[in-house]
Amino acid sequence: MRPENYQAISQPPSNEFELNIGPNHPGIEGNYAIKLKLNGDRILEARADGGYLHRGFEKLMEGRLWIQNITLVPRICVPDPVPMEVCYSLAVEELGGLEVPERAQWIRVLQLEMSRLAAHLFTFGGHAATTGQYSTMYWGIADRDLILDRFEELSGGRVYHMFNIPGGVRRDLPDGFLERLSSLLDYLESRLPDYDNLFFTNQVFVTRSRGIGTMTQEQALQWGVTGPNLRATGLAFDVRRDDPYLVYDQLEFEIPTEDAGDALARNLVRRAELRQSIHILRQVIARLPSIGGAIRCPIPNPLAWNVPAGEAYTRVESSKGELAYYVVSAGGDKPYRVHVRGPSSMHAVQVLENLITGARIEDVGQIMFSLDACPPEVDR
Amino acid sequence: MSTALKVRLEQLLAQFEGARVTRKNARRIRVDVGSDALPGLLELLQGHASYVHLSAISCIDWIEAQQFELVYHLWSYETRTLVSAHTRIAREPGVYLSVYDLYRPAAFFERDIHEMFGVYFEGSPDMEKFILTEWDGPPPMRKDFDSEAFVNQTFSWEQYRPQWLKDLEEEGGGISIRPEDIRP
Repeated sequence: MRPENYQAISQPPSNEFELNIGPNHPGIEGNYAIKLKLNGDRILEARADGGYLHRGFEKLMEGRLWIQNITLVPRICVPDPVPMEVCYSLAVEELGGLEVPERAQWIRVLQLEMSRLAAHLFTFGGHAATTGQYSTMYWGIADRDLILDRFEELSGGRVYHMFNIPGGVRRDLPDGFLERLSSLLDYLESRLPDYDNLFFTNQVFVTRSRGIGTMTQEQALQWGVTGPNLRATGLAFDVRRDDPYLVYDQLEFEIPTEDAGDALARNLVRRAELRQSIHILRQVIARLPSIGGAIRCPIPNPLAWNVPAGEAYTRVESSKGELAYYVVSAGGDKPYRVHVRGPSSMHAVQVLENLITGARIEDVGQIMFSLDACPPEVDR
Repeated sequence: MSTALKVRLEQLLAQFEGARVTRKNARRIRVDVGSDALPGLLELLQGHASYVHLSAISCIDWIEAQQFELVYHLWSYETRTLVSAHTRIAREPGVYLSVYDLYRPAAFFERDIHEMFGVYFEGSPDMEKFILTEWDGPPPMRKDFDSEAFVNQTFSWEQYRPQWLKDLEEEGGGISIRPEDIRP
């Protein structure tokens, strides 16, 4: 075009426009959309839009036997399925008055911490990708795969294990499992400095994530934030310690906190939790051989098991925060009502909307991933 | 501090008329109150007994009693106890008060219950659909909504005959529900 032919287009009356992000985008671990109203690159308004992964689990569970639901619950959160199985089982056990044998409780803790490690590796790998650092993501996924190998050996399933059932666990550990897990932990621990060099001290990540998506502790408490996102605002709350379940009260671990409450702090909390989970797993590996006995208590015929009428509210600390199940029995062979309280139902809706309002468009992916929300948990 | 708060909770619940308190275990307390007393109870629990975290609001459809049961699960970071406040409202018209003024997370739970059970919460900031945006049927979590019957009415198994299924059936396999097995 020649300069003399150039004509400036007239300015639009406003710089505001709307932008849909999702439902397929790399800013979150699943299908989820967010509708933004922008002025230039500044976000004026944000609306979370869920429902893309709704499979109606709560309704389905009302139509299936107590034991059949074990195949449904892990699918509610793909990256971190074990807390779902354990939390549901704990509720059914409370209703049915079942005493879970000690060995089964230790095996459950073992899986829960393996699942937490796998989920955290997935999350900060994903966060790294939102800053353009794909190597961290590939490393995280590759190391997570090694944990999935151990899950496969234990249960036959890599992602969905369905290994915890009301009353205990399905099988005992395979021969030599603890030795193989122990060498995996050695390997993962040796990788932590590599992750520090590649990602956590990398100035691209540190500079980009510091000061974005900041919330104060007061805001976090007000918005119902839990898990690493709450601990990143300085409050050392962890369901494992403060509302203990299984054998967590016999284990030593620290609850890492950060004070800044921003995207960087949330990732640093998860980084410290990797080390704590390895520490917990080592204690479990040391204790398990000395704990004998059954791996599940006898339960009535599961095809004709009428769980006594009542209600139970059980909570566990998943990698994303406080996960709770409210299970109601009317005395039948199926649950009367199951309500799943996923931590992401807070983080992915209200908290996300609040944090990205006022932010810039290039930070949206980072803020979303730093909250580690799991959309299937919101949609259920 | 923790013991003082626990004592205060006991006093508070004892003073609250019509509240039935059941201590389920060391960290779980169940309180049953009438529907007009519940917002007042939550205000007291939050303001005077440190129950600042609304963990969840659960809804149960007791269709035979024609009631919805609403359960507010509240956690105290100080006393490390969870109070579940239960109340029942009439299934029709299914309208209740929002507790959004007290607890911000209520916005999500009330919106979810409105979508799934059809309970309308007056004063809630957003009662728009969130998950079932394109659904115009009855609230699906109600007990009188039969999802299996809905599927059988809406989808035709006879018309669902892809080639891979015909191949499977030739080998003796197939989908688990055959047209003749469908319940009326």
